[in-house]
Amino acid sequence: MSVISKKWISYLFILPSLVIFAVFLIWPGIYTVYLSFLDWNLISPTKRFVGLQNYLSLFQDPTLYKILMNTFVYIVILLVINCFMPYLLAFVLEFVIVRGKKLYKKILFLPSIISLVVGSMLYVWILNPVSGPIAIIFKKIGIDLPTWSSTSGLVLVVLSLITSWKVFGYNFIVLLAGVSNIPSGVIEAAKLDNIPLHRIFFQIVLPMSSATGIYVLIMTIVQGLQYIFTPINVVTQGGPNYASSNMIYHAYQQAFVLYKTGQSAALSTLTLLLFTILLFLEFRFVERKVYYAGK
Amino acid sequence: MIRRLKRLGVSFVLLIGILVVLLSGCTSGNQSGSGETHKTVIEYWHVNAQTQGGQAVDELVKDFNAKSKDVKVVAKYNPDMYKGLMQNLQAEKAAGKSPALVQVGWAYLDYFSNNFSYLDPNDAIAKFDPKNKSFLKENFLPNVLHLAQNKKGQVGIPYSLSSPVLYLNKDLLKKAGLNENGPSSWQEVRQFADTIKKKTGNYGLYVQEPADTWAQQALMLSNGAQIITKKGKAVFASKEGIEAYQLYQDMVVKDKSALHLPWDQGVDAFVKGKVGMLYTTIAQMSNVKAGAQFKVSTIPSPPFEGKEAKVPAGGSFLAITAQSEDQQKAAWEFEKYLYSRQSMAKWTEATGYVPPRKDVAQAKDGLKDYIAENPMLKAALDQMDKAVPWTSFPGNSGLQAEQIMIDSRDKILGGSGSVSKTLKDAQQQINQLEK
Repeated sequence: MSVISKKWISYLFILPSLVIFAVFLIWPGIYTVYLSFLDWNLISPTKRFVGLQNYLSLFQDPTLYKILMNTFVYIVILLVINCFMPYLLAFVLEFVIVRGKKLYKKILFLPSIISLVVGSMLYVWILNPVSGPIAIIFKKIGIDLPTWSSTSGLVLVVLSLITSWKVFGYNFIVLLAGVSNIPSGVIEAAKLDNIPLHRIFFQIVLPMSSATGIYVLIMTIVQGLQYIFTPINVVTQGGPNYASSNMIYHAYQQAFVLYKTGQSAALSTLTLLLFTILLFLEFRFVERKVYYAGK
Repeated sequence: MIRRLKRLGVSFVLLIGILVVLLSGCTSGNQSGSGETHKTVIEYWHVNAQTQGGQAVDELVKDFNAKSKDVKVVAKYNPDMYKGLMQNLQAEKAAGKSPALVQVGWAYLDYFSNNFSYLDPNDAIAKFDPKNKSFLKENFLPNVLHLAQNKKGQVGIPYSLSSPVLYLNKDLLKKAGLNENGPSSWQEVRQFADTIKKKTGNYGLYVQEPADTWAQQALMLSNGAQIITKKGKAVFASKEGIEAYQLYQDMVVKDKSALHLPWDQGVDAFVKGKVGMLYTTIAQMSNVKAGAQFKVSTIPSPPFEGKEAKVPAGGSFLAITAQSEDQQKAAWEFEKYLYSRQSMAKWTEATGYVPPRKDVAQAKDGLKDYIAENPMLKAALDQMDKAVPWTSFPGNSGLQAEQIMIDSRDKILGGSGSVSKTLKDAQQQINQLEK
């Protein structure tokens, strides 16, 4: 087979995914940028061109800064409970614990097969600050639970916890695979030399499994924000007064609750830019230090 | 090898067979089965979850489908109440489609009639049912019909009527040494709640907080405040409006005797016996009754001292959104069935909504026996003369105005900022929105 026809065949193979990618990701992306310059309510036949007005009113709205801050806080919390903690746990399970590994694996992965809507509703019931089981137990020892769903700050933590129900198990399994790829001889040698566990983790395990680690890190940031949409929508609808909203939910609310598609599209475009910058920084400064086994 | 090929062939044939069956199942599903192919299929959109009359919707539709010769109704549940239904209707319209009959919440009267095309029920009757020309006049009170009118005329027919009532946990009131017949004014509600908190350690009151401010508006109205003027200008940040919200904020923030929670969690707390009084729609009656393990009763919505109680009518009206003539005709046939005395009675029994038709409450085949058995409904029936239309903010920014009201509620109950400043800011913001 000649080189040219081989080349065409490879394009042919890539075509199906390219078409899907273009129709469902690239085109809507371009259309969103286009909509961000218009004033439109989703059904009216006329779309009015307003230039940069949507962006201007976006930056004049104090809600934007609140939501940016929330988005950032969500990222930090999610990184701790869905990236750092499963990493640590994967290490402990692989190199520290001796018995019951398989059982732990299953137990820790199990919650991530439950739908997030179901998970959210379960949590709302369990954590009901007045009549939920936890509230009743605490009441017995004289502690009143705070009304978390209407307390700024706290609501972010609880919604992140609900999301971890879904994300934790998956990240854990992926990280475990990464960690278990490290030759056990290296760890054994370190143990023989009486290197403390925290140094083994930070100086051997973390660098040697960094290829998987970086994948989970990015996924936690990007996907976590999308996952957190569900509990926001089910539990608080962004309230109280936008204290639990993030950029993705706010864009949804602007478009499909208030029908301000222009504003929503402007916010979505801004979100896209922000994440592009984040990813760029990540590639620039972190990616180089990643260790790929076998390279 | 040959055997394996054969086996492969057999499983291939089987697979094709399954696919064919599946596909043909789909097509016949669309035509609603053999023998019914000539039936007009219409969609009825409602917001009634299983705890709020969803089962009754299914039963009514099933019964109608069995009786009707030429119409088949498909009921579609829309989550997130009337707002959710409006959103789905938007999306449907954007896709160039529309259901035949929809439930529209009172607060969306203006928004709905401005943005969607509908069939005036008077026109529907004149066109498809000329024998029953005076159907509306004969069966509905004029002030009830008025709830579903705009400047151009009748948009739909009132269907689910509700008003907020005060549910009492009699056991808790008794334990706190309070009058079991409940408070007679909002000032007394505050005292009651405080006593319950101090004597029993439980919360005194929860006022519903869904994605609308219906109950909070009832509070302001019952202190003599006005929400908007006839011309559509927001005026709720008046002395009376601020006073009403102040009492509410004090209970939540200062006394800590009232709860500030999303709706489902708040109602759940009352049903589990952890809250003394619950201010929510009468439509929650069945839900409360089914779950409560204590003596529970209702009293009409209280006024502020020296003022008159006013209750915004909650619930929905039905509007015909079908576009083609045969769909419209079918929609009217189904609507007429829903407004029959028996169907209305069934609807009330399942939901606790007050019937909009005049003759249902007293009629033997209506609700007479039911009301005798369910005195909780009486509180809502007794206050129907105090019913006023639910504020529908005018213009294209109506939904945003409602969102601003919700945000202010969160600010006030969260304890950040004074009531008067928050309400005045909100009022100014709403009046600056483009109409």
